Amino acid sequence: MRSSLTALAAALACATAFAAPALAADPIKIGVTGPYTGGSSSMGVSMRDGVRLAAEEINKNGGVLGRQLQLVERDDEGKNEVGAQVAQELVNKEKVVATLGFINTGVALAAQRFYQEAEIPVINNVATGTIITNQFNPPDYDNNYVFRTSAYDVLQAGMMADEAIAQGYKKIAILADSTNYGQLGREDLEKYLKAKGVKPVAVEKFNIKDVDMTAQLLKSQAAGADVILAYGIGPELAQIANGMAKLGWKVPMITSWPASMQSFIDIAGTNGNGVIMPQTFIEDKTLPKRKSFLDGYYATFKVNKIPTPVAGAQGYDSVYLLAAAIKQAGSTSGPKVRAALEDLNSKVEGVVTTYDKPFTPKDHNAISRNMVVFGKVQDGKIVYAKDEDAKNAGVVRVKEKASN
Amino acid sequence: MQIFLQLVASGVAVGMIYAAIAFGYQLTFATSKTLNFGQGEALMLGALFGLTLVPFTGYWLMLPLVLVFGFALGAVVERLGVRPAVKIKSEYGWIMATIALGIIFKNVAENIWGRDDLKFPSPLPEEAITFGGVRVLPMELMIVAGALLMMLAVELFNRRSIWGKAVVATSNDIDAAGLMGINTQKVITLSYSISAMTAAFAGVLVAPVTLTGATMGSVLALKAFAVAIIGGLESGLGVIVGGLILGVAETLTGFYISTGYKDVPGLILLLAVLAVRPVGLFGKAVIKKV
Repeated sequence: MRSSLTALAAALACATAFAAPALAADPIKIGVTGPYTGGSSSMGVSMRDGVRLAAEEINKNGGVLGRQLQLVERDDEGKNEVGAQVAQELVNKEKVVATLGFINTGVALAAQRFYQEAEIPVINNVATGTIITNQFNPPDYDNNYVFRTSAYDVLQAGMMADEAIAQGYKKIAILADSTNYGQLGREDLEKYLKAKGVKPVAVEKFNIKDVDMTAQLLKSQAAGADVILAYGIGPELAQIANGMAKLGWKVPMITSWPASMQSFIDIAGTNGNGVIMPQTFIEDKTLPKRKSFLDGYYATFKVNKIPTPVAGAQGYDSVYLLAAAIKQAGSTSGPKVRAALEDLNSKVEGVVTTYDKPFTPKDHNAISRNMVVFGKVQDGKIVYAKDEDAKNAGVVRVKEKASN
Repeated sequence: MQIFLQLVASGVAVGMIYAAIAFGYQLTFATSKTLNFGQGEALMLGALFGLTLVPFTGYWLMLPLVLVFGFALGAVVERLGVRPAVKIKSEYGWIMATIALGIIFKNVAENIWGRDDLKFPSPLPEEAITFGGVRVLPMELMIVAGALLMMLAVELFNRRSIWGKAVVATSNDIDAAGLMGINTQKVITLSYSISAMTAAFAGVLVAPVTLTGATMGSVLALKAFAVAIIGGLESGLGVIVGGLILGVAETLTGFYISTGYKDVPGLILLLAVLAVRPVGLFGKAVIKKV
């Protein structure tokens, strides 16, 4: 017994002695978490591949602080409980410097507290629930470690509602899925509509994997709805579009951003044409940065289309923002990187936009409403919904003061 | 009234989807008192396998190939998952074994076909047809007809063919059937094969209306299981009635009560059936000697 203890101690001593000199050139570990399997995986995989692409580019150019970026990828399966497990593993075992990811609002809310407690910055690059960046606001917490590069729900809900009203629709039906994402989005929509003095004529719910939307659609129709605002992800949004075609009821449909998922386009087919949704990124090559991003993505992952372009672009940008912050901090310590993110000195050229002071201590959202455009499904692709946006496609939309 | 009829029509279509899957549970339960909890995955594999074949063979020629595929799949599940558990007289080993196989199938499917839900090409026009104001997709009619035909075919097989008679004999009394020279092992394998075959067939049948993807089976199989319990695990007619009850209850509740509570009445019904008539609405109560 005694001898085995001594051996163990000796082994430990050896291990630490060997590990110490290697530290200087150690790679910088960055967690990447998202659903790479299951219903929302087209978003997760697009995000991960965007992240991989950016990390590879940065590493080719010498890395950050002379160190290479090393991605520690974990599949959170879009499940809240798995997300929390992944977070603990990345924090406690992998000792990541920061984490990029979260596709699902519910997963983000369940998992990001572990990073907050460990003072490790998180950049949400896809999840849109409004509360995500407000979960750890001062004064309840000293500092908030959660940042975001996606168009959060209040922005999207506002755009969806305003668009419906601007097009002259009076009777709005809201259809939302029963997940955290759908229900938080529905709340934002209802709140916004209330402020505008509009009461939706129907507010209906559906579950993930529901195959029949007849009841929801008939209720909306019976209530006299002339437009549908739908909050959900690709497959079920497609079932709504197909259900409308089946019932022979044709009203315009405005959805949250995931109607840009490949699954929506495939499953809805021609029934999906004309559906519009807020987008931070449309797959076009108007800017050199966008062209190099798209060419790189297509070549590296051997596709001719990003499954979910918005997720890919935001994932890509989140790496560059994090790299810039680490560089400015001159360190990988969490508090320093957070402070650098809140006050980035250099402009970061990304795919969605050129980030000029994207975050402040009070505002952890990089996207403001003026940066989001409407995309439209047209024959299997997402295009600009409005002519003026298409004309201005090459103009970089920079952030203005956000309202959140 | 028209809305009511529309709701019932949609409910019937959904209910027959459940019934077609539930039918497979009933087949294996009758012969071996075991179930394939990977029934949803058999459905999913059938649909995805069919989806791969369609570009080469077209929809109609693909059907027999999917049937063969399902038949083989069922045999694999029985050999790997159920037989060892039955052999060692493990009362519940087959539960975990079939669930485990289901998870493995799902992961394999994700690796082969990807993780996205895909579109299954419809063999019939996708325009709805109108019956007195009620709109129905041609594909929904085909689901109802196809599911009924499939069940009829299996019933005929059981009543007319010698193998079918062996299945019936085994399901009535497995020990007596064994003593009469029936190879009950083979009969059980056969029932699993037919069960997975019906699931694979149901998969290609419902795929143009539902979503097609590695996760398509999970929710459907769960609903179908509830249907099998409501209708009675012993009865083919029971699953049809159970399916229709659940499907129509869902759409009617969605409209007249709340879409948020759509799934509740079906499950309340399940609890009620279990409390009042545990063998299901059409099940036969048997006295189990211990």
